[in-house]
Amino acid sequence: MTPMDRDDERRLVARLRSGDTDAFDDIYDAYRPRVFAFLLRMSRSRTVAEDLLDETWLRLVQHAHTLRPDTRLAAWLFTVARNLYWSYRRSSLVEEASVPELLALWPSPVPWPSPFDLAAASELQRRVERALSALSPQQREVLLLVGHEGLTPTDAAAVCGIGAEALRQRLSRARAALAEQLDDTPAVATFKKGYAT
Amino acid sequence: MTLHDGENDHHIAAIAALKTYDVSQRHAARLRTECHAVLQTQSRRTVGAGSGNGTLFRRIIGPALAGAWCLAYLVEIIRRAAAVYGF
Repeated sequence: MTPMDRDDERRLVARLRSGDTDAFDDIYDAYRPRVFAFLLRMSRSRTVAEDLLDETWLRLVQHAHTLRPDTRLAAWLFTVARNLYWSYRRSSLVEEASVPELLALWPSPVPWPSPFDLAAASELQRRVERALSALSPQQREVLLLVGHEGLTPTDAAAVCGIGAEALRQRLSRARAALAEQLDDTPAVATFKKGYAT
Repeated sequence: MTLHDGENDHHIAAIAALKTYDVSQRHAARLRTECHAVLQTQSRRTVGAGSGNGTLFRRIIGPALAGAWCLAYLVEIIRRAAAVYGF
């Protein structure tokens, strides 16, 4: 992912603070797919990801006039999206623990392979998606934020609400866990060969 | 710390290469419209709250007038009470 130029970002934030809808559109078009993909991979549910995406953008416009001039949009948006995801997860766990009989009435989560899984462009992507989904949410989020979204370790640590050293350790463990999930698969072996050359 | 300092660089590269997903065009358009509406409402509210006459009356003139009226009322009550008791 190409990070947004800092000067462009400051200008966009200034315009957004003044209520400029064109500035909002620029930000929305640049970050909407990224935030949605992050939420989709975290929640593994399109419906949940769509709801959380809506809430993330509504939070942005509700707080637009209070944004600091030096706000880093990617970090701000992913922080909100991540916090919304964890709030959702906590509330769903509480519901699950307290009213299991009600949950039984709801449609069960989509099992793998889901349409999302099947739509993955290649064998390798499918395996990476599957391996990611098998990791803990904490590991998944650092890999997605740093590996897929290209956030700096500092920004990723801020998004996750942890220190730089904690992020480094979590990222290291996540990479090891991902490697464990992925290793010994033919597609990965092929990719490794291509990557090495 | 870098992304490419370990033996699992290819795994990170594989994550970086994952495709990006998006909501349907209809959903994106609906959310955009909703956000525009909220943004414009917030802007009007901010401009209204910051406008000179509105702020001046709400923060200074209004409370001053109310305070003066209350003070005059209190003084008049005390004055009449004093008159009743012959002071």
